[in-house]
Amino acid sequence: MKIIENIGQTFISLFSNLGKFVLFIIFFFKYLLNPKFYFKNNLSYFINIFVTSIPIIALTGIFSGMVLALQSYTGFSRFSAESAIPNIVVLTLTRELGPVLTGLMISARVGSSIAAEIATMRVTEQIDALRTLNTNYYNYLVVPRVISLTLALPIFVTLVDFIGVMGGYIVSVHRLGFNDNLYLLNTVNFLSLNDYLSGIFKAFTFGFIISIVSCYCGLFSGKGAFGVGSATTNAVVISSVLILSTNYFLTELFF
Amino acid sequence: MNIEIKNLKKKFNDHYVLKDISLTIENNKSTIILGQSGCGKSVLIKTIYQLFNFDSGEIIYNKKPNVNIDNFSMLFQYGALFDSLKISENIAFTDFINNKKNFRKRVMSLMNDVGLDKSIFNRYPSELSGGMKKRAALARALYKNPKVIFLDEPTTGLDPINSDKINDLILKVITKRKITAVSITHDIKSAIKTGDNYFFIDDGIVEDKGECRNILKTKNKKFKSFITGARY
Repeated sequence: MKIIENIGQTFISLFSNLGKFVLFIIFFFKYLLNPKFYFKNNLSYFINIFVTSIPIIALTGIFSGMVLALQSYTGFSRFSAESAIPNIVVLTLTRELGPVLTGLMISARVGSSIAAEIATMRVTEQIDALRTLNTNYYNYLVVPRVISLTLALPIFVTLVDFIGVMGGYIVSVHRLGFNDNLYLLNTVNFLSLNDYLSGIFKAFTFGFIISIVSCYCGLFSGKGAFGVGSATTNAVVISSVLILSTNYFLTELFF
Repeated sequence: MNIEIKNLKKKFNDHYVLKDISLTIENNKSTIILGQSGCGKSVLIKTIYQLFNFDSGEIIYNKKPNVNIDNFSMLFQYGALFDSLKISENIAFTDFINNKKNFRKRVMSLMNDVGLDKSIFNRYPSELSGGMKKRAALARALYKNPKVIFLDEPTTGLDPINSDKINDLILKVITKRKITAVSITHDIKSAIKTGDNYFFIDDGIVEDKGECRNILKTKNKKFKSFITGARY
């Protein structure tokens, strides 16, 4: 009987949290459509995300592109199709690896920091203090973070795409002996606007997922240091799982 | 502002934190809420402030069931200052986030009232001591010009000398500005010094009440035990 009770409790808790999360998203849109817009707060948050994430984004891009070029060469050289490497590098990066890897890295870099910051504010009564100061926490905390990250991720993905292609170029030209002009020409000619836009659409979606999940985990965290730790872990794990699963459905959509 | 609370009940999940609270907070007086840790004192003042909903009972503000919480302000247990903002921005928070520029003079005056040096105007909360944080938080609470101020354990975490200084400050501020004060404390000395009336809460109900000057004359066994620290 105890096992059945525990299973029941788990399902009730799961659906109750899901319901809470859906309500949270509905409230987000309500305050987004009727915002009390703290412009300075929004702008400073956007700049903060942007500046602190650039190094990790650059590293993700360059190494992804370099590894992709090397691994593609390993496979394609077996049936003398090395010339397809620039095409594969640019296509894989713009459509797939750029948005997904950027999403995962940003979820670890920014999502965890959003969740930890808001959870700490919850634990130290700063969220209550906001309410006593007539400030709605959706307007002050949630909306700026979600807008900033949803707008920042497409820019990050564009950077990763560009730096990644450059990484592939460096390895292909200097390590594998490709002609530099031909490599760039193949890359530019093969890439279509739709490839790039499908990656950008994914980036918007992932940016929204990371920010909304992280804000939710932070705001509904448990008490004390354990609560802050759990909120941070949950934010990264849930965002990552949602990014990977949503990526499949978006890929189907643009297939 | 008079606040009358009748048969207030509040539960979290299935556990009643406030089982049946009835008390009156008198206008322009300092009311002290006493009780052991976890007895529901903070929940009570947050419920009065409308930060929490309640399950049953009534809260009547000046003979009305609703109140504009613009008239209220709160000093939180550990200050709850916003770490990413400077002290001046914390004190003038609502003006600061609404991009109003002319708060400097008012902040300076409040800092002077609560005994904060002007040199910390541009400092961050992490650079201040516990006592200074409490003073800054008090200045932030007073920035709204509240009619009622709620003080959640204002002397917690401070040494006896700083506790006494904060008590003096609270007394000075509420007397000068004619503010109704509701304080939570474990400290009997603070209660006697800063309070007019007290309510002792135990296990979600009001066990004892009276005037603060008569606290030490209480006949209530549980409250006596709370005062002396002896277990009954």
